[in-house]
Amino acid sequence: MSTYIIRRLLLIIPTFIGITLMVFTITRFVPGGPIERMIAEAQQSSMSKGYNRIKESPLSESQLLELKRFYGFDKPVIVSYCNWFANVAVLDLGQSTRYYEPVWGIIKSKLPVSLFYGIMAIILTYSVCIPLGILKAVKHRTAIDNVTSIIVFIGYAIPNYVLAIILLMVFSSWLDIFPLGGFTGNNFHTLGFLGKTGDIFYHAALPLIAYMAGSFAVMTFMMKNALLDNMASDFIRTAIAKGQSYKGAIFHHALRNSLIPLATHFGNNISLILMGSYLVEKIFNIDGMGLLGLDSVIERDYPVVMGILVISSLLFMLGNILSDICVAIVDPRVKFE
Amino acid sequence: MIRFNPLTIETITRFKRIKRGYYSFIIMAALIVISLLAELFVNSRALIVKYNGEYFFPTYGHIIPGEKFGLDYDYETNYRELKNKFKISSDDNFVILPPVPYNPYEIELKEGAYPPLPPSMSDKHYLGTDKTGRDVAARLIYGFRIAIFFSLILLFFNYIIGITIGSLMGYIGGKFDLFFQRIIEIWDNIPYLYAIIIISSIIIPNFFSLLGIMIFFGWIGMTWYMRTSVYKEKEREYVLAAKALGASTSRIIVRHILPNTISVIITFIPFSVAGGITALTALDYLGFGIPAPTPSWGKLLAEASEYNINAPWIGVSVISALIFILVMVTFIGEAVREAFDPKQYSTYE
Repeated sequence: MSTYIIRRLLLIIPTFIGITLMVFTITRFVPGGPIERMIAEAQQSSMSKGYNRIKESPLSESQLLELKRFYGFDKPVIVSYCNWFANVAVLDLGQSTRYYEPVWGIIKSKLPVSLFYGIMAIILTYSVCIPLGILKAVKHRTAIDNVTSIIVFIGYAIPNYVLAIILLMVFSSWLDIFPLGGFTGNNFHTLGFLGKTGDIFYHAALPLIAYMAGSFAVMTFMMKNALLDNMASDFIRTAIAKGQSYKGAIFHHALRNSLIPLATHFGNNISLILMGSYLVEKIFNIDGMGLLGLDSVIERDYPVVMGILVISSLLFMLGNILSDICVAIVDPRVKFE
Repeated sequence: MIRFNPLTIETITRFKRIKRGYYSFIIMAALIVISLLAELFVNSRALIVKYNGEYFFPTYGHIIPGEKFGLDYDYETNYRELKNKFKISSDDNFVILPPVPYNPYEIELKEGAYPPLPPSMSDKHYLGTDKTGRDVAARLIYGFRIAIFFSLILLFFNYIIGITIGSLMGYIGGKFDLFFQRIIEIWDNIPYLYAIIIISSIIIPNFFSLLGIMIFFGWIGMTWYMRTSVYKEKEREYVLAAKALGASTSRIIVRHILPNTISVIITFIPFSVAGGITALTALDYLGFGIPAPTPSWGKLLAEASEYNINAPWIGVSVISALIFILVMVTFIGEAVREAFDPKQYSTYE
């Protein structure tokens, strides 16, 4: 087991290099990087001062060279990638070209928001899906099962950003029950502890529903199908033949085995916890990692894009390994060689 | 005539028995066919014009200048005006317009009113107009055609690449498998919408270049599933038998293994279609999809959230259309899955 984990951990390195090298190369060939931005800004300021020199670059040749050297654009891609990688290895993600602040600091300031939404969404998803899945399995092919199936199906079919728009239009604009977005209200700092908590949840209600929608259907059906499989298997027949009650057989024997697939799925949720969903964050105007990522892609703030990529890809790969470990823990039959 | 083997016929019967999925499939197929003929239902060109004893069918083909119908301009005839003109005159000339007499690009401005305008039966804007004054119903239908065909073509190429590489990975195994596993892991980790956004800022994408970019990042899903199922099939006796008889690798994969993994492929098709529509709509919503003025659901969705309840007809129509289509595709998907993998549970109570 431990050799397996070590091998998996070592395989992270080539994959990580592959991912970052690919995105790094793409960002290098895209126009509109930091230098172009500076030129545009300088042009605007010289225009506002009344100089009519739009055609001319406001920066001299030597200034441009200096800038290129500063951002490492004068070197070939592979050399500047190696520089970047050496910095990442000592945990230096560089500086944002938009805010002129360290990337790590920016990410750290957004992380708690995404963390809050991610963890809450996971807790809610598990605490609704597991009981609902059990109920649907026990009441298989009854009215309750069919009605909830249709609801869950429709929830599955609607992409989470469409659901977010629907929720926003119905509950915020039309019925005016929930706020239009944001993480906290304007008067947040004046509230007491209880008021603060209430305010956060008041703002979080709609986004959380949108977040949950993605994995909700999958988890519910995973739970239901796994439990149905187990309920139809021989060891349950044995348990009932030996005099175990039906309920007892389900809860003591079948249920424990049915949780295995859910455990497998847990690791995949790790990256979702931290990275959030940029579409949902954009629609609800939540200032988390997802929105930061989207904004920095649009604004060509590549150090931030790369920083987010580093964190998200590491989390994703660690999450996969964690999934395997989870499976090995809950299912002693699984042995990784 | 294609002859199905008994197992396939049984699967099809099972699929037909799942009413929800079967009817969704029929409706969906009908919608796709209708969308191909959308010009006959939603168009600013008339279906039939009778002018001075001569019949014209302007829907397809070259534009017919206004001069031909006795109007004083040589650009394309405005058939809605022509209809009104014929109505007033007492000749037996007539114009038959499609049910929705607008095309998705034309901007109709009205005096004293600013778009978006609410639905109006008398103007035949059944779902109102969008913020530039284009008919929402027309844009929905043409947007559907673009989205569904985008999704189908995307699926076709993704599956071709995915099935080829996936089967080879599963069949050959070893170094080849390990190499592509890493490639897939890399591809899987690249945030696919980010990459598309970055790339679409270099080349302004059109239908085909966007398709190309999305195929470039989207082929991995099917590859992974194919790898697993071919890997399983490879160990079966029939493959060994084929090999012993001297069948070549390509023959074993194409003639023997693929037919046995077809259930995996077909089961994923509806979900890939839904995924394609969702991804294209998300890109259009963010403004990185097929550029304006191409009709698209994502653009309408963006307008819907921009105008919110000030123009609810945009939001209501595009969101209901989206939900309707995606729910139907999901129903088809569930029915296909059940048809291929019927689980008759017998529980002990």
